[in-house]
Amino acid sequence: MQGLVKAFQPSSNEVQLGIKQMKIRLLTGLLTLLMPAMVMAGEYGLTVDRVKIDTGDFVKEGIGYNGASPGPVMRFKEGENVRINVTNNLDEMTSIHWHGLILPFDQDGVPGISFPGIKPGETFTYEFPIQQAGTYWFHSHSGFQEPDGAYGAIVIEPEGREPFRYDREYVVQLTDKHPHSGDRIMRNLKMMSDYYNREQQTVGEFFSDVSKNGLMNTVSDRMAWGGMRMMKADVEDIHGFTGLINGKGPSQNWTGIFEPGERIRLRFINSSAMTYFDIRIPGLDMTVVQADGNNVQPVSVDEFRIGVAETYDVIVRPKDEQAYTIFAESMGRSGYARATLAPEEGMEAAVPQLREAARLTMADMGGMPGMDHGSMAGMDHGNMDMGSSEGVSGMDHSNMGSMDHSNMKGMDHSNMKGMDHSDMSGMDHGSMAMGKGGPSDPFYAKGSGVVPTAANGGKFLSYADLKAQDPLYEDREPTREIELRLTGNMERYTWSINGVKYEDADPIRLKYGERVRFKFVNETMMTHPMHLHGMWSILDVGAGQWNPIKHTVSVNPGTTVYMETEVDEPGQWAFHCHLSYHAAAGMFRKVIVEGGPESTQAKTGVVAEDGGEA
Amino acid sequence: MNVSKLLVAGVAFSMSAGAFAAGVHGGGHGASSGEPGKASEVARTITVEMYDNYYEPEEITVKPGETVRFVVENKGNLVHEFNVGTPDMHKAHQEEMMMMVEHGVIQGGKLNQDMMNMDMGNGHSMKHDDPNSVLLEPGQSKEVVWKFSDKGNIEFACNVPGHYQSGMYGDVNFE
Repeated sequence: MQGLVKAFQPSSNEVQLGIKQMKIRLLTGLLTLLMPAMVMAGEYGLTVDRVKIDTGDFVKEGIGYNGASPGPVMRFKEGENVRINVTNNLDEMTSIHWHGLILPFDQDGVPGISFPGIKPGETFTYEFPIQQAGTYWFHSHSGFQEPDGAYGAIVIEPEGREPFRYDREYVVQLTDKHPHSGDRIMRNLKMMSDYYNREQQTVGEFFSDVSKNGLMNTVSDRMAWGGMRMMKADVEDIHGFTGLINGKGPSQNWTGIFEPGERIRLRFINSSAMTYFDIRIPGLDMTVVQADGNNVQPVSVDEFRIGVAETYDVIVRPKDEQAYTIFAESMGRSGYARATLAPEEGMEAAVPQLREAARLTMADMGGMPGMDHGSMAGMDHGNMDMGSSEGVSGMDHSNMGSMDHSNMKGMDHSNMKGMDHSDMSGMDHGSMAMGKGGPSDPFYAKGSGVVPTAANGGKFLSYADLKAQDPLYEDREPTREIELRLTGNMERYTWSINGVKYEDADPIRLKYGERVRFKFVNETMMTHPMHLHGMWSILDVGAGQWNPIKHTVSVNPGTTVYMETEVDEPGQWAFHCHLSYHAAAGMFRKVIVEGGPESTQAKTGVVAEDGGEA
Repeated sequence: MNVSKLLVAGVAFSMSAGAFAAGVHGGGHGASSGEPGKASEVARTITVEMYDNYYEPEEITVKPGETVRFVVENKGNLVHEFNVGTPDMHKAHQEEMMMMVEHGVIQGGKLNQDMMNMDMGNGHSMKHDDPNSVLLEPGQSKEVVWKFSDKGNIEFACNVPGHYQSGMYGDVNFE
């Protein structure tokens, strides 16, 4: 890549204040000036540093990039080749994973799978072509550096025009900053899995349930949950964080400026270690135009849930000269992040109260083989109607046999044996058939206690609403199916796939050129954002050729979700739950793609020799 | 949503469609977009191409009272609409179009003609046949002849759910 340095140019359209991004554009030789199809090569620098993180609630030592957490917004252009020099100023190994980017596997930044990692004091140069556009992010894949602050945003400008319009844009990057370091949190969870769960059911709650539901019902309910080694309040397992947006806590109130009437593109990125957020901007409709960096057919919503590691781009159009609050409540309602859109700095709008925490119901354990049916045999099922626990139809065991959630993938009604067809005749259209964001969503267990609803009673985005704007792949029959049961034992804080944790598991072997259908069966009570590196996850929402492609697929408790992958990248890749402490506990797999161009096969051997931690 | 609700919804749709249809009586705020034009009065033809999800061109300029023949071509892979109206009229129409999606009339790149033409009773249907608009499948082309009235806040817009909101509209400027 010999060339001349064109300029140190501040990244164009830089919208976040206070971000120093070093960006050197290299031209690949003078000749390219004469070539119409000029390939640009961008050279970028990142340092990995110890930083101070001030959330407004507490100040904490952490890890950042170029002296800050979050790191800079890296702005790339589709079609360019990037060189990124990463200098490790820590006294421990580090790595950077470019989350969602399609690139050669040895540039993917997972120690032990893509490369050995970056040693203290060392500079590692990543080099890869940018083959896509959209909103992505980057983070360390070493230890708990990411929860400790090592993350930043990636914005890639497309070669052609966007299929939508906006006047300005902001990155809105969320995280769940905890006062404890990642290492300490993991230690505490291993010791006591509910260490950070402040939402536990109390003795008082037991007695209030007894008065509501009767003693026998309440006792049976508690016994059933105990048998699962889980608790109703396990929607989130880490409480006590401060939600940050672009590094600012609620009291520091990150603010994006607009002029009334402008269309604003908000690039939401959830860089949390553990926390899903329900996001709304009271007073504004949000039109979702992108999910995980890929354009989707636009859908207007009042609220949406962003899983850990997902991104959603929305367009809003505030018409009035007033401030609007961006309110991001954690799924378990144990915390929130807050920011503001306003015509000028310092203006604020009301900050809503946290809603009451959702509670898992028996339905959320739908089809859990791990559920101890034996101990339930002695219970009087006749008493278990549990009327007050909203719609717990799943407890009728005669029905549970037919609650095959695997059939609920999209909304192909022909497969939905377990569903009540009588209500749906004449309809054939996905989520729409279920009404606007009603209490049911095909991606949640029927009768689930955690189906999200919009605070204003309006439309809440469902996966079923996501349709590819311009499908990347032809639709075709998958060559085979691989079942991945998401498993775990909450009390021992072990998380695994098919009951086997990472260090004991064989890699998943795929063949270059095949199309694999992955069947995720969530046998736990928690939601798992499953992230396959290097290749797209074609999420089955029942829309056939319009199924959207994502990099992270959220699987709700008690549900089965299908995704397909065109195995079009050779090498070896990570595949894991993106909840930091679940991945570390073993809900993680190595994927090896066999075949493909020979040069990459040789490289795989080298990396495998080097080893290292994942 | 059972069959009877579907029918009710369908009726509601075609009834409200009448409220905005010709535009001659004006929109909610007294604005008017004009009226169906006569072919004999066409002063010029403007070709509007529809892509996923934007128009080319994204703005046009007309004279008050001018009659324009729009040749509208859908060059995208999704169903798109070309509709001349005020922002308020578009907003009202978006609710009807949402209903068309919910009932499977619009399915990504396809229009379900059977569903559109289905007799909902009382002569109502979910036909999309108002003179200020066309709704096209990919590859289709149709004409709209429209006589613009006085100056006003007029846009041409695609009211397929989400399309207008994400920016699929064009401005009508008056000379």
